[in-house]
Amino acid sequence: MPKILIIEDEKNLRVLYKQDFERDGFEVVTAASAPEGLELVGREKPDLVVMDIRLPGMDGLEAMSRVLDRDPKLPVVLNSAYSSYKDSFMSWSADAYVVKSSDTGELRRRVREVLAARAER
Amino acid sequence: MGDRRRTLLGDILAIVMAGGQGERLYPLTRDRGKPAVPFGGIYRVIDFTLSNCLNSGLRKVYVLTQYKSGSLERHVRVGWGPRFNHELDEWIQCVPPQLRVGQRWYQGTADAVYQNIYLLEQERPRTVMVLSGDHVYKMDYSKMLAHHEGTGAVATVAAVEVPIEDASAFGVLAVDDASRITAFQEKPETPSPVPERPDTALVNMGVYVFDTESLVRALTADARRDSRHDFGHDILPSLVETNKLFVYRFVDENRKDTAYWRDIGTLDSYYEASMDLVAVEPVFNLYDKSWPIRSMVSQLPPAKTVFAQEEPGGRLGIILDSLVSGGVIVSGGRVERSILGPEVRVNSYARVVDSVLMDGVDVGRRARVARAIVDKGVRIPADFIVGEDAEEDKRRFTVTPGGVVVIPRETRLD
Repeated sequence: MPKILIIEDEKNLRVLYKQDFERDGFEVVTAASAPEGLELVGREKPDLVVMDIRLPGMDGLEAMSRVLDRDPKLPVVLNSAYSSYKDSFMSWSADAYVVKSSDTGELRRRVREVLAARAER
Repeated sequence: MGDRRRTLLGDILAIVMAGGQGERLYPLTRDRGKPAVPFGGIYRVIDFTLSNCLNSGLRKVYVLTQYKSGSLERHVRVGWGPRFNHELDEWIQCVPPQLRVGQRWYQGTADAVYQNIYLLEQERPRTVMVLSGDHVYKMDYSKMLAHHEGTGAVATVAAVEVPIEDASAFGVLAVDDASRITAFQEKPETPSPVPERPDTALVNMGVYVFDTESLVRALTADARRDSRHDFGHDILPSLVETNKLFVYRFVDENRKDTAYWRDIGTLDSYYEASMDLVAVEPVFNLYDKSWPIRSMVSQLPPAKTVFAQEEPGGRLGIILDSLVSGGVIVSGGRVERSILGPEVRVNSYARVVDSVLMDGVDVGRRARVARAIVDKGVRIPADFIVGEDAEEDKRRFTVTPGGVVVIPRETRLD
């Protein structure tokens, strides 16, 4: 069962994502801040990371670059309420960029796509 | 800022790669990187690329440093900084590794730019030039940039035509009739010939122009792959399939019959390029006012010779077929076919032939120096002999395959 790490500072969203991804058959671990997320990347060895960009403790794009520095092949899906970060060069390192909505359908679809693409390689 | 951005050159960022260790130039690179190695008396290797930038109208320059970059940083800041006007949004700046993206040394040339991607983010230029700080040549980059604009390329690679039998030592570009690059060959046994001139091949000069977004896409993708993270090996080959990767044929501003482009990669090639400069008609012309080569300027007194006792056994200070920098004093010694860096002193009855003496070298009375590269500040004692007895030299110094003796900095010979 693939393991997903979700880095999200809003508690309600963490609960929602965990519930929906678990229903899809994933194992889910969550972190509420970037430093906590970085720690969990090392400890939990997730198969994919879903992360917010505006995070307490550290900018999410910087946190992503640290994640990728440790494991360049670990898939990362950025999940932000703002589409403006799509212009940021650092965000181009992500495997996918999803604009948050109350419906998790798009996020879950992109996560499945990224994992499938990764499996093909 | 707005005004300059309306011009082609105002919207271009130059990134000079100056992090090379230059291991094959050891011991000249023991205390400095390859771009900081002195060349031609008053210059350092990087000055040729920086002069090209200045002469081409490029006014936003980042120099990416890495190893032993202290003296290079000072050279760029003190020597080159004043030539760029901040008020007009012009600057040159050394950037040491920031460890913002990666927590490690640069893995390759592409990784060096990737780790500094925030510089591109801040500046958001339309076009980026990536240059190597370790080559000696004269090139008007603005001509290449115009060519890049004209073809609508995602990237353009400058190449110099060399005889095909010499091409195997370099990175070779295979191109089609429309100058599209179809393949990169690294030190190929059988290099692809130039379509219309099959006795020549196109050698990659390490001079690249990129559309910024295409560059960033290629860098971010490459950072996540197992690769050498190298422009010539990974980034540019990944752009071949766009069909918008073009070659630009080097136009030499040196204006001689043969195009001059040198990778001063080894001690012997360093020596040969130096000796070319002292030839009566050097291939590489430092004296062309239309393409000035600049460096860090030091206020030094004029070079001087003293003693004119032309009678046998007299003291005669004499310099023949040589480059002589400021502050040099040849006091009763004899110098032939040599390059004397700033403040070199050659004392009575000493003889210096076919040699490169860097800043502050002092040659003692009756000492003899031949076919040698002597690094900064070395004091050659009185009666000392270098370059006449190969076996003896090999015991004490580095001697190149070509038989050139290299005496590193701070060598004590007394």
